[in-house]
Parts: sequence; structure tokens; C-alpha cells
Amino acid sequence: MALQRQERERRAKPTRRGWSLRNYMALFMVVLLGVAGIAAFAVRNMAEMDAEQTAVADANFAAQTAAVEITKDFVLLEQTTAELAANPQVAAILSAAGSCGLTFSGGTFSQGHLDIISPDGYVRCSSQPLPKGPVYGLSDWLPVAIHTQTTAAPFLDPVTGQISAVVASPVGAGLGAVAAIVTLAPLGPSLAASLGGARHLEFMVTTKDSKTVLTRSLASARWVGADLEETSFARSGGGVERQDVDGTARLYAHFAVASTGWIVFAGADKAAALTAADQLSNRSLAIIVGGVGVMLLITSVVFRRIAEPVRRLSLVMRGSTSGDAVKAVGSTGATEVTNLAWDFDRLMATVKHELADRLIKEQNALVSERNYRQLFESHPQPMWLYDVHTLCFLKVNDAAVERYGYSSEEFLAMTIKDIRPPQDVPKFLELTAAPQPHYDKTGPWRHLLKDGSTVEVLITSHTTTFDDHEARLVLAEDLSESQRLELELHQSQARAEANAELSKAKDEMVSMVSHEMRTPLASIVGFAELLFTRKVTPEQRGEYLGVMLQEGRRLTALINDFLDLRRIEGGHLKMRYAPADIKALIKRGVALIADPDGIPIQIRVPYNMPLVRIDGDSIFRVVANLLSNARKYSPDGGSIVVGAGVVADMVEVYVQDQGLGIPADALSQVFRRFFRVDNPDRHGIKGTGLGLAICKNIVEAHGGTIGVESDGLGKGARFHFTVPLAQEAAQVGDVLVVEDDSGFAHLLQAELTGLGLSSTWAADAETAERLMIKKRARAVVLDLLLPGLQGEAFLYRLRTKHGSGIPVVVVTLKDLDPAESLVLHKAGVTAILRKGPGMAETAARMIAKALAAELVAS
Amino acid sequence: MRTRTPPGLQVLRTVVIADDESSMRLLVHATIESDDYRVVEAADGAEAWAMVQQHKPALVLLDVQMPERSGLEVLRLIKADPGLAATRVILLTAKAQETDIESGLIAGADFYLTKPFSPLDLLTRVEEALQL
Repeated sequence: MALQRQERERRAKPTRRGWSLRNYMALFMVVLLGVAGIAAFAVRNMAEMDAEQTAVADANFAAQTAAVEITKDFVLLEQTTAELAANPQVAAILSAAGSCGLTFSGGTFSQGHLDIISPDGYVRCSSQPLPKGPVYGLSDWLPVAIHTQTTAAPFLDPVTGQISAVVASPVGAGLGAVAAIVTLAPLGPSLAASLGGARHLEFMVTTKDSKTVLTRSLASARWVGADLEETSFARSGGGVERQDVDGTARLYAHFAVASTGWIVFAGADKAAALTAADQLSNRSLAIIVGGVGVMLLITSVVFRRIAEPVRRLSLVMRGSTSGDAVKAVGSTGATEVTNLAWDFDRLMATVKHELADRLIKEQNALVSERNYRQLFESHPQPMWLYDVHTLCFLKVNDAAVERYGYSSEEFLAMTIKDIRPPQDVPKFLELTAAPQPHYDKTGPWRHLLKDGSTVEVLITSHTTTFDDHEARLVLAEDLSESQRLELELHQSQARAEANAELSKAKDEMVSMVSHEMRTPLASIVGFAELLFTRKVTPEQRGEYLGVMLQEGRRLTALINDFLDLRRIEGGHLKMRYAPADIKALIKRGVALIADPDGIPIQIRVPYNMPLVRIDGDSIFRVVANLLSNARKYSPDGGSIVVGAGVVADMVEVYVQDQGLGIPADALSQVFRRFFRVDNPDRHGIKGTGLGLAICKNIVEAHGGTIGVESDGLGKGARFHFTVPLAQEAAQVGDVLVVEDDSGFAHLLQAELTGLGLSSTWAADAETAERLMIKKRARAVVLDLLLPGLQGEAFLYRLRTKHGSGIPVVVVTLKDLDPAESLVLHKAGVTAILRKGPGMAETAARMIAKALAAELVAS
Repeated sequence: MRTRTPPGLQVLRTVVIADDESSMRLLVHATIESDDYRVVEAADGAEAWAMVQQHKPALVLLDVQMPERSGLEVLRLIKADPGLAATRVILLTAKAQETDIESGLIAGADFYLTKPFSPLDLLTRVEEALQL
């Protein structure tokens, strides 16, 4: 109930961890509008400022240009008057009246006239009709101008009555002057026409002190000659913005004319400039507004295509609307959303399907479990389940309770060992320890009932799991008389088959052996007959006898090998295991096989190699056989390496050669009896074909494995086998028996045990040394003739390392001369015994006596 | 392979000895040593067949159990070759079962000797075969 309520609440009030998409959209729009507004405002301001600055710059440029133009024209006028004044005709005109003609050209000064004037102010010659009388008689500049070049302005031209300027040059010395008189009034409009341009600039030229207006472009009549201080221009304040003659606001710039010092003002219409700026800023604004509009449109479309379908999808998921997500989302959704809806629908379909499926399965399982339980409970034959690891009963059926007499509870407290007679338990445990097949039918087994009687049953079992136990379900079937007979028949058949197989194998063996023996025998018999019946040369006799001897030996080796193999295979060869130093053993093997003229055989055994537990003679035979093979199958004398190393909990010994090698298909067969690699490269190499089979048997008797690798013909081979490590015994015991004859060593150990002394056997002196280093023995029985290091050398080292305290009894076959005996006695041996019947017992007694004496002494 | 050719310019008949055991080749060779024919030795079945093809011998002494090609295989090849119709074959084997003898004779061997054999017996057989 609580769960349902929670579920309802969850549906009603979906958790809000943040804003909905709709809110984010709204915020986005508001921010967008705000940014657009600010942008528009900024654009407008910047456009206006920019427009004003541009207008002022234009005015400034115009004022400069005007000033330069005016200056240029004055310079021209000066040149013109000076040239004219230098003309002798002008002086002639002044001194004697004559006809003359002048033309005026004033550039910017569109109106004006050129006059030749006498000192008394009369005009003698002019570019216009001659005025009557001394018109310039009262002009201030004339008295100066008849002597020096003069520029003067302004003055009221008596000829035109206009405010004018004059440029005059003297003719001779006081003879008169040539004067260019220009009217200033047209200058303003002329400047405006040539420089005013699109800005509708106003031009105004004032005197040097910028007080008197000389000319102006707008409403030229007004202000001219007036004092500027009195006008709205001055009154509208300083700075660039002033009112012009019409009261219009203008942006002014000014510049001085170089020659006269006049000031040229140029003023741009502020309103016109701003209008342009406004147009620009309005266009920008239109773009911004358009952009924002498009964005809002896109946003709203996106919102409609994502947010709304998602909202509807989420409603479907929450279950508050119909379960069809695709329908709910509709066709307006974006592709991704529609896909999501599809996926959601598919997911829902799968979930529903699986739920239904599971429900059905669970129901089926329930039904079948019930069926099985019934089958198990009411089965007429005893059945039980047991744990394969603990062997405990997990469940028994009614039939089992009835047949065996134990109650169900009693069964569950027992293991399946308990229902077997004690004598059958070891066999049973051995069987269960091995991996069992999934399904198995075995028997007959004897089972023990609660009343002590036994029954014979056939067991059918298979592996299963029960309550997380790895279990086995067992059906125990009473053996009926007919079944028993059938079983016996079956077993005898199986035995007969096995016998037949064995006998067939034996037959094959006999056939093989007889074949192998026939060839050497044929040589021996054949050559013997030849020698017996023919006259042969001494050379031939030698040759034939050599072959006979060689083949005879081969036959002997074959018979020996074969018998050994039979003994080992039949388990008749008694292995006597003892700790052994594998390096010493390998060294002896190498010494036996090594060819003094060939490449030395390399030995690679780590320095601190642990001792192995082996039958020394047998393993020596394996090593010698592998080494001899390596030599035999390396006819070109390639290098041979023999080594050992610890691999896992075993010691691996290997023999590697670079000889003829073994083809891949023969690798698995080389350990088979009489198998020999059949290749022309080894036809001359003799062998019985039994050596490796013997090696395999010896190694396997040690619990090891033997194998071979080869990269193929001509690539050499690597044989390797493993033997177990010697267990690190707590101690060597009282006596160390150093004896290579395993039989005698065994006898000695038995005698020592009889006297209550423990002992360890070392088959060679090297092993004995290693054992002494680890665990000191209290006494030593020593043979002198040992396979590697000799007994005498061992004794010497023993005394050097461990002092003279350890009693040593020497038992040997060696004939010792008096000097040798003396040396031994000097080394402190307790006794020297000659090996023979009863000597094992004597040696044991002497050791016991020496140890007892030592005990008393201490 | 060893060939022992006597002096002179006679056209000699050839005998091929095929056995993988050198001691057996030596024994057979020593047994049938004669000035009347020259002896060629082969150490395996393949070499034996090559020798037979090369020398077209009057007689082949074939060990049954040889590497490369067994004696029976070489025998079959000889019998299948019309150019070798005159070649006689004596089989030598360490196998002693009846069935082996049968299969050897069925394949067309002229004589059959089981190891160990008497050299005198062998010589008789060789002479018989060469007179056939």
C-alpha cells in the first residue's frame, strides 16, 4: 500500500530539479530582446557621434582648401601686377597718355578690375571703362603702392562701391602703380559652389582679427562688413557648434589664409549630418529587429518540436496518458524525439513481453518442481541427493527410509560413506575422488542397512544442483537374481575382451620382438655358416667375425632392453627412492657418454639446485640414454646441452641437441616400443627401438612426465623429463648410509632400524655431502667405490668440514693395500669392513656401539 | 651403393641387393659373390627401385621391411613394368607368418627366404632364379 501511495505521489508531483524547458525558452527570449535593445541604442549613439566627427572633419578640410585657394590667387595677382609694372609700355602710358587695353582674371575672385594708376589717383588705363577724375586720390594704400608692392584689404572700391581688396605693384620710382582690385562679395558663394559639396557647407571669410565679415556664402548681403561679435554666430557660444546667419545649427571649422591673415570659416549642417546618421542607425536597427524576430521564430519552432513532444513523452512514461509514446509525441516532434518515442515503445513492449514470459516460466517451474518432488518422494525405489564435496545426504525419499531403516533425520546427519561396509569405503572414496561423469550407472555396490545386514544395489546417478549445493541424485536399485546373472555375464565378457586385447598386444609384441631379433640372428647364423663352409681370406674372416660380434651384442642389448621394459611395465623392477643430487648424476652421465674428440657436452644446472627423490640407477639410465641418443643422432657433432631446473614442484631435466631432429608426425611416437624414425639421414644409426620406451616407463614410475620437441628434420631435438623434488625431511636421522648398491643400502638400513637407529640413504657422495650440509647425521656408513666422488675424498671433506667427531664405518668391496688402510685409519674411521654376507649387520652394530660410547663420553 | 665390377669387357648380368641393414647386405653379397655377375646394393626401397630401373637387373634380392618403400611395393612396381619382365625377384624377410609368404608370392616373387636363412640355401635359390 505504502508503495502504491508513493507511486501515486511520484506520478502526481514529478520531482523538479530545475526549470522546465518552457521557462528556459522564455528566459532566453527576454535576454535576447534586452541584448537587441542595448545593441540598437549603442548603434544609434555611435552613428551620431561618428556623423558629427565626420562633418567637422569635412568642414575642416574645406576651410583649409579654401584658404589655400585664396592664397594661390593672391600670389597670382601679385605676379600679374609685378609683371605688368615691369613692362616699359606701362611707364610710357603713365608719362604720356596713350591708348591701352587690359584684361582681368582673378581666379576665385570672380569680380574685379586691373588699373594703371598715377600717383595723383587718376586711372590711366583699366580693364574696364576708365573712371573720370582722381578716383583713388584718397585711398590709403596708393602713396605706399607707388613705391613698394602692397596688398591691402578691405577697402571700399570707389569705382564699384563694393568692399574689395587690392594688390598693387609700383611702376618705376614714384611713377605710378599697377593695381588689381577684387570684389570680395562673390568669394563666399564661389567657395561654396566649388568646395561646398553634398554637405551644404557655409563659407565665411573674416579679417585677421575675425571681427569683420568680408564675405559669406549664405545670404551674402547680411553680416558683410558687420562686426562678428554682434552676430548670433558669436553669441551661440564657443566650440564647433554655432548658429549661422539663418539661426541653423552648424558645425564649424576655420583656417587662416597665409598671405593676408584672413580667417576662412566652413560650417556643415548639423541636422543634415545627423539625418544621415539616423538613416544608418535605422538600417542597423531594422537588421537587429529582423534577426531577433527570426531567432524567436526558430526558438518557438524548436520548442514546439522538442519541448512539447518531450513533455508528452514524459507523460506517457509517467503513465498519466495512453501508453503509445509514438502517438503521444505525434508527427510534430523532431526526428530524435520521434526515435526516442519509438525506442521507448519498443522497450516497453520488450519489458512487457519478458515479464509475461517470466511469469509463465515461473509458473511452469513451480509445476515441474512439484512434479519432480512428487516423483522423488513417491518413487518406489530408494533415492537420495548428496553433496559431492562433503558427501552428506541432502534429501532422501520415503522408499530409502523404508529400505535402509534410518529415519529421514538420521539420514541427513550421515554421509554416504556410512551406508557402506567399512571394507568397501577406500574403493568407494577412490571412485568419488575422480571426476565423475555427468550421468553414470555403476554397481553392484554393497550397502549397509541399519540392522547391520547388507544388500547389493545398482546405482544410477547424475550431477545436479540442490539448494546451491553441487549435488548428485542417486537411485539405488536392488539387484535381482536375473540382474546379478546378467551383470556377471557382462563382467566375464568384459574380462574376456580385456584378456583378448592383452593377448593380442602380447602377440604383437612377440611378433615385433621376433622380427627385431631375426635380423641380427640372420647375420650371426649366416656368417657363421659362411665361415664354416667356405674358404675365406683372413680379411674376410675378420670382417665377418666383426659383424657377428656387433650383431651378437646388438641382440644382447635388445634382449636386455626388452626384459627391462617388461620388468618395469609389469611393475617388477623395484624402485628404491632416495634423495639425490641431480647435478652429480648428470655429470656422471656426461662422463659416460662424452666423446673426448668431440665438442664437450655443456651442463647447465643452477648452483643451488634442490635434491630430487629418485631411484638413482634408473634415472641415471634415462639421462645416459637421452645423452647417448643426442650423440648418436648428431653425426656432424653438433653441440649438446644437458641441464636441469625447478619447474613448478618438479625438477625438469633436459637434453638438447642440434642433430638430425624429429619430423612433426613422429614426435608423438618416439616413446613407443620399437618405433624408429624412418629417414635416410639415420639409416646407419643402430638402436633397439626400446630405449625411449624404457625411459618413459622409468620417468612415469617416478610420477614424472617425459616429452620431446623438435622443429623438424635437421633442426635438433630437446628431450625433457620431470622427477619429484626430495621432501625436506626434518632431519637426516642418526645414520647416513653412503652406498651405491641399493640392495646393500637397503639391507643396512633394515639392520639399523632393527637397532633403533633412523637412517637416510645417499646413493652417491655428492648427495651425501649435500645432506650433511643441511642436516648433520650422527654417524656415517661409507662405501669407497662410488659412482662420482670417491669415498676417500668424501671422508676427507667430511673431516675438514665437520671435524673428527662423527663415527664412520667403511664397508667396501675394494681391496685395500696397507697404505690405503692407514690413510683411512688416520682419517679416524671406526672400522673398515669388507662387503660380504653378514657385513650389513656387523656394520650396523659397530655404528650403534660407537654412538653409545659417544653418548657415555659426553 | 657399392658396385664391384670385375675386369674385362664381358657383358655381365646385374644382381641388386636391397636391405636397410648393412650387415645383411654384406652377408648376401659375400654369399653370392661371383665373377658371373656384378652386384649392386641399395639401402632402402626407393634406392632399390632406382637401381632396378637403371640397371634392369637379372635378379633382385629384396628385404621386405625397408624404409621409404617396402620390398613388396618394389616387387609390385617391378611386376607392373613390362620392361622388367625378365627380372627375377627373391624376397628376404624377418616376418614368418603364412599370410606374409602368401602375399609375397601373390605379388609375383620367384622365391621367398625367411631370416635367419642359410647362405647356401640362398645361393641355390639365386642360381635357380638366374637359370629361369
